[in-house]
Amino acid sequence: MKMLSVRDLSVAFGGVLALSEVSFDVAEGEIVGIIGPNGAGKTTLLNTISGLSRASQGEIHFAGTRITGRRPTEIAALGLGRTFQMSQLFPGMTVLENVMTGLHLRTRASALAAAFRTRGMRAEEEEAAGKAWQALAYVGMERFAHRPGTELSFGQQRIVEIARTLVSEPKLVLLDEPAVGLSVTRVAELDGLLRRIRDERGVTFVMIEHVVRLVMDVCDRVVVLNYGMKIEDGRPEEVSANGQVIEAYLGSGFDAARRSS
Amino acid sequence: MMMFGYLLASGITTGALYALVALGITVVYKATRAVNFAHGDLFMICGFIAYTFHVMWGMPYVLSLVLAVAAGFVIGALAERIAFRPLMEQSLVSVLLATIGLSFVLKGIARGIWGGKGDFIPFPPLASPTPISLGGILVMPQQLIVLAGAIAVMLLFAAFFKFTRLGKMMQATADNQKAAKLVGIRTGRVYMYTFAVGTSVAGAAAVLMAPITLLYPDIGFVLFIKSFAAAVLGGLTSIPGAVVGGFLIGLIEAFSGGYISTNLQDVSSYIVIMLVLIFLPQGLFGGRSLRKV
Amino acid sequence: MRLAFGSRQFLALLFLGLAIIPWVANPYILYVANLALLYIILALGLNLLVGYAGQFALANAAMFGIGAYGTGLLEVRLGLPYLLAAPGGALLAMLIGTAITFPALRLSGIYLALSTLAFAMFSQWVLLHWYSVTYGGGGFRVPNLDLSPLPIGPDLGIYYLSWVVTLVLVVLAWSLVRSRIGRAFVAIRDGEIAAQSLGIDLLRYKALAFALSGFYAGVAGALYTPLLGYISPEGFDLFQMIIQKSMIVVGGMGSIVGSVIGATVMVALLELLREFKSTQEIVFGSILIAFVLFRPRGIVTLLRRLPGWEEPLSSFDRRRYVVSGPASPAAAAAATGLARAAAEPARGEGR
Repeated sequence: MKMLSVRDLSVAFGGVLALSEVSFDVAEGEIVGIIGPNGAGKTTLLNTISGLSRASQGEIHFAGTRITGRRPTEIAALGLGRTFQMSQLFPGMTVLENVMTGLHLRTRASALAAAFRTRGMRAEEEEAAGKAWQALAYVGMERFAHRPGTELSFGQQRIVEIARTLVSEPKLVLLDEPAVGLSVTRVAELDGLLRRIRDERGVTFVMIEHVVRLVMDVCDRVVVLNYGMKIEDGRPEEVSANGQVIEAYLGSGFDAARRSS
Repeated sequence: MMMFGYLLASGITTGALYALVALGITVVYKATRAVNFAHGDLFMICGFIAYTFHVMWGMPYVLSLVLAVAAGFVIGALAERIAFRPLMEQSLVSVLLATIGLSFVLKGIARGIWGGKGDFIPFPPLASPTPISLGGILVMPQQLIVLAGAIAVMLLFAAFFKFTRLGKMMQATADNQKAAKLVGIRTGRVYMYTFAVGTSVAGAAAVLMAPITLLYPDIGFVLFIKSFAAAVLGGLTSIPGAVVGGFLIGLIEAFSGGYISTNLQDVSSYIVIMLVLIFLPQGLFGGRSLRKV
Repeated sequence: MRLAFGSRQFLALLFLGLAIIPWVANPYILYVANLALLYIILALGLNLLVGYAGQFALANAAMFGIGAYGTGLLEVRLGLPYLLAAPGGALLAMLIGTAITFPALRLSGIYLALSTLAFAMFSQWVLLHWYSVTYGGGGFRVPNLDLSPLPIGPDLGIYYLSWVVTLVLVVLAWSLVRSRIGRAFVAIRDGEIAAQSLGIDLLRYKALAFALSGFYAGVAGALYTPLLGYISPEGFDLFQMIIQKSMIVVGGMGSIVGSVIGATVMVALLELLREFKSTQEIVFGSILIAFVLFRPRGIVTLLRRLPGWEEPLSSFDRRRYVVSGPASPAAAAAATGLARAAAEPARGEGR
């Protein structure tokens, strides 16, 4: 089954066309990379899929359901998770509480139940804590469970953010530059973690990334964007040899120079 | 017809004052994205300072005006240094809170020095109270002086921005902070001057207005709300908008007060603020859509 | 066995102290203590909205007024007994507080602050000028509190009623924030966009926060009516707004204990400076500036480091989730290379 299907997606902000008739599919269990120079529309693409931006044209289907134009909370409820490029954990909570917040959609206690601390609410809270703890342990961060979110380094926070997304057992996770702030060793570990999650939990990933090594190693397929348009879609090896792609990143002069040398 | 003329004149005159104060609010907002809650109280303090010079110590009016404006400049710069600059990094909401605090401190000081809650201090009129007839409308000479003065200040203000170096730096910082820094403009200093200029304009407005209304410590907040309504109506990022907004609010007040009920005078600004922020947040002239502050 | 003195113990002690005040103090102190109880309720409600959910709204004083007026008018105009009029007034404040949410959803920061301020000024104007309903600027008297058949006079009656209500509201707020609701509020405050992606419905939780603060302020207003015996628009003005804001800034935003501390400190200060309005203004204004500049998180931050004073946004059994040694099954499960990342020391606080 196609986990994600994007068809002729166009997004305009004011007079600017951020995305122009982008189409691609993501199969279940794939890890797809989205690459392209700055301003190519990658984050806009993720924003539109997750419901934070409005599509002007085109359709998006997620796990067989049409999600174009739906609100981010509804799309999240369908099993789509997302991390952010510049985001951090919520500074006002501990690491564990951050991950527990990821279970918001899987818990039901109402304000009244919470205020009166009903038995159901307390049981739900313990269960949520347990699941959050397990998710933290899965990514190796349980040592920081009770620290405030801000005490972790940026790279560590990104990892916890993945746990926060994982804890609700999503079908598809959108990652926006997960490797930012990670050292070379940590990137290799992230590589391993993403594969593990895909293999053991069956999660599909779509990730924007600039770190070439990660893209090459972990992605099954790569989609290349430039100026809001898709210019290539294929296996990492194919894409990296593609002249158009190189040109997009480095400018046509470079490619000509490279070829003539 | 008499009534209409009277209301028109009155509305334009008070409108000119709201325009001046709104200018100060907009200028500071444009440069810093923050709103100075104490703006009206700075106005009030300048008015009281002018009162001290002119009425209590007998200095000539124009000199008092100049001194009050100068005092406004200094106080504005100080306020920026103390309550504003250190908080700009924190958050704009902190700035608002701090300026709220400042507003109360200024009010308390004014109340302590010059009078209590019920005391309304009169300022002697500058011109004779006999009305002049302008095209069938009866106008008080005092109103004309106020209007002329306000327009003069606005023109000076516009000239300052267009022609002086500091003015251009302020504009640059307002338009694009980062670029301004890159070009070497010391944005901290510019903020200080922006504040100071905004306050002196308010000071000028205070002195101009003092002869026609009474001066009392709580007037600062009242004026702030009305001028904020004017600024928001015109679009917080638009300086001509502030001027237009000011006149509009003045006219709305005058006409609703005259034709519907005097009670409506104050409340029309509150309603304007609510309606504009809900339905037309960028105001009449503000281009961009409302950013989350 | 260690005797811990944490926030729970502090609150218990405070309420115990407040319970015995009628036996040891004169009527004036009793009045001030009663006022403190009401301000605790006000500060709590405001903190839920501003401190926890991050909605910087300036209409709380108006809600306070609506609660008081609602109660008083239901008593005087419709002849309802206090115990019916009070919930009525509180509910009215809650409804109006919630109604504000809809426009507020699109606004934030300064725009939210100023539009809610305009609303507050507008409602004060209504209270002042709608003579036919609200009796206008002169205000009106309300009947004394009659708690018969309980053998308790009006002064003591209102005091203990306030005591009970305040205690209940503190406990409810305390429980509420230590749940997914509290986490949802803080998520909205700290990162609205990420919160949405986690499925947190902004409209619903902002509405809840506004409703709660409206309700709390309304209850405070309903209790204020019999305390004063008289209602007029004066007590619900801008200054009132500043006092309430100062309470949570000084006490600590995003903290239940902070709300309580801030309220008691400010009420004490208010009464001490009662004679001199101008001094009141200068002192409150300076305190606000000083705290915003130097200790924006409030007094409570000094206490938070101590054990027992933390205010978590969760309520599970802490003892089950401690990283001990390799014997802990959780640690054994995390056998990936990233466990080495966990072994890195965390950075110091702040970045």
